[in-house]
Amino acid sequence: MVVDLRKCVRCYACIAACRIEHFLPIGVSWPRLVAMETGGEHPTVSTYSVRCNQCHDAPCVEVCPTGATQLRDDGIVYVDQDKCVGCRYCVIACPYQNRTFLSKDKDKGFFPGRVVTDFEKAGKELYPHTHGTTEKCNFCMERIDAGLARGLKPGIDRDATPACVNTCPAQALTFGDLDDPDSEVSRLIRENQGFQLHPEYDTDPSVYFIDGKIGVSDEPSETSTKEEEPVLA
Amino acid sequence: MEIHEWMLNYTRQTEWIDRRGLILWIAFYTGGLGGGLYLVSVFFNSIWGMFISWLIIAVLKGGAHLLYLGKPQRFWRIITRPQSSWLARGFIFVMLFVIFGAIQLMLSYWLPDTAGEMVFKVLTGITALVVAVYTGFVLNTVKAVPFWNSSLLPLLFVLCGILGGFGISVLIALNDGNIDLATAEAGSRWLLLANALLIAIYLWRAAKREATGKQSVMEQIRGSSAPIFWIGIVVMGIIIPLVIAFTSYAVAEMPPAVLVFGVACEVIGGLALRYCVLKAGAYSPLVARSEQQ
Repeated sequence: MVVDLRKCVRCYACIAACRIEHFLPIGVSWPRLVAMETGGEHPTVSTYSVRCNQCHDAPCVEVCPTGATQLRDDGIVYVDQDKCVGCRYCVIACPYQNRTFLSKDKDKGFFPGRVVTDFEKAGKELYPHTHGTTEKCNFCMERIDAGLARGLKPGIDRDATPACVNTCPAQALTFGDLDDPDSEVSRLIRENQGFQLHPEYDTDPSVYFIDGKIGVSDEPSETSTKEEEPVLA
Repeated sequence: MEIHEWMLNYTRQTEWIDRRGLILWIAFYTGGLGGGLYLVSVFFNSIWGMFISWLIIAVLKGGAHLLYLGKPQRFWRIITRPQSSWLARGFIFVMLFVIFGAIQLMLSYWLPDTAGEMVFKVLTGITALVVAVYTGFVLNTVKAVPFWNSSLLPLLFVLCGILGGFGISVLIALNDGNIDLATAEAGSRWLLLANALLIAIYLWRAAKREATGKQSVMEQIRGSSAPIFWIGIVVMGIIIPLVIAFTSYAVAEMPPAVLVFGVACEVIGGLALRYCVLKAGAYSPLVARSEQQ
C-alpha cells in the first residue's frame, strides 16, 4: 500500500470505512490518523494515515508463542483469533504500536447500558471480535480473497481492494502488488521516493509513504508537532 | 477519535506493567526468584529450599501467567512456537521445571543419594536456570524498545534471581533448613556488589544506545519512576542489604531480625528492579524526525 501524504485531506473516511467493514468495537481503531504542523510562522499541516504495516519481517509473527499471528504468502500479516491466547507479546513487539488487545472495556457498546444498535448486532454475527485476543488491520483480506476467487485483481477491482482504499475520496491510498515492478504502487514508490516508517528496525513494512519532500531538499527545517483535533468517534 | 500520543512522542509500553500488567510483573519476578533459589538450594543441598522454589514457580509464577492471559483456557497453545518465541521457550521450561522438580523432590525425600536423584537435580537445575533467565530474553528481543534491547538484561535478571535465592536461603538457614548461614551471607554480599555494578553498567549503556534509550534512563532516574528507582532499587535493594551484609562480616553474629529485614529489602529491591525495567520501556515516535522535515 502507498499513502500519499500530499493528497490526504484528513477526512477520516478511511477510519470510518474500516469501522463499518469490520464492525469495529467503539474502543478499537485499526487505521489511525495523525496530523502535525511543520514549519514555524506559517506552518503546513502534514497527515499520516497509519495502520498495520504488514511487515515482511514482522516482529509480531516472530514473537507470537502460539502461531496465532501469521504471515501469508501474499505478505498480509493476520491474527487467527481462535489461536490467540492474549499474552500481548505482539503488542509489545510492534515498533509501530499498531496492535490492539481487545479487552471488555474497549467493547462497551456504542450506547453502554442503553441500547445495542442494529449495526452492533449485525457485527456480532458477521464479523465477531473475540475479547481477550489481539487484533489489527489485515488489509481486508476477506475482501481480497473473495475478489481473487472471482478472478479480480487487488488494487484494480474495488471488490478485491481494502475498504479504506476504496473509500478515500482524495485517492491518497493506493493498493497493489509490491512484487510487480509494473504495478501502480511500485511505480509510485519508484517515482516519488516512497519511504517506510522506521526502516532501522529491519521489519520491511509493506506500507510506503510519499510526502513530496524526501529527497527534494536536504535543508533541515524547524519542526513542531500537534495532535489533530478529534472529529469522528 | 482517541489521542494517539505514540505517533509523535516517546511513549512507554503499558500492556506489561499497567493495570493487569502488574500481574505479569509479579510473574517475571517470581520466575527469577524461584529459579535462583533452586540453584542456590542445589548448591546447599537443601530440600526445603528446593521445595519452596518449586512452589514459587509452579504456583506463583505459573498462576500469575495464567491470570494475565486474555484466554487462559488456551494456555497449552503457548508451547507451539519455540523455534522463534522466547515466551514459548520459557513456558516449556517452566513446565519442565515443574515436572522434573516434582520428581526430584520425591526422589530426594524417599530415595536420597541415588543416581536418579542426581540426574533429576541436574535436569531441574538446567530448567531452573532457563526459567530465571528467559524473561530477560523475552524483553531483550524486543527491538522496538531500545531500553530492553540489551544483552545485559538476561544477565541482570538471572543475577538478581540468584541474589534473591541467596536471600531466601538466609531465611531458611535461620530456620535450620540445612543451609550454612555464613556461606549464604557471603554469597549475598558478593552478588549484591555485582548486581549494583551491573545495574550501573546497564543504565549507562542504555543511555548511550539511542535517544529513546536515554529517555528511558532519564525517566528512571528523574521521571515518575524515580522514587521507585532510588528508594526501591538503590536504597532498599542495594544500600541497606550491603550495609547489613558487611556489618555481619565484621560482627560475629547479627540479630536474626536484622537479617530478615535485609532479606525483605533484597526482595523489594528485586521487585523494584523488574518494575522499573518494565515501566521505563519506551517506543520511539512513530514518525521519525527526518521524515517530518
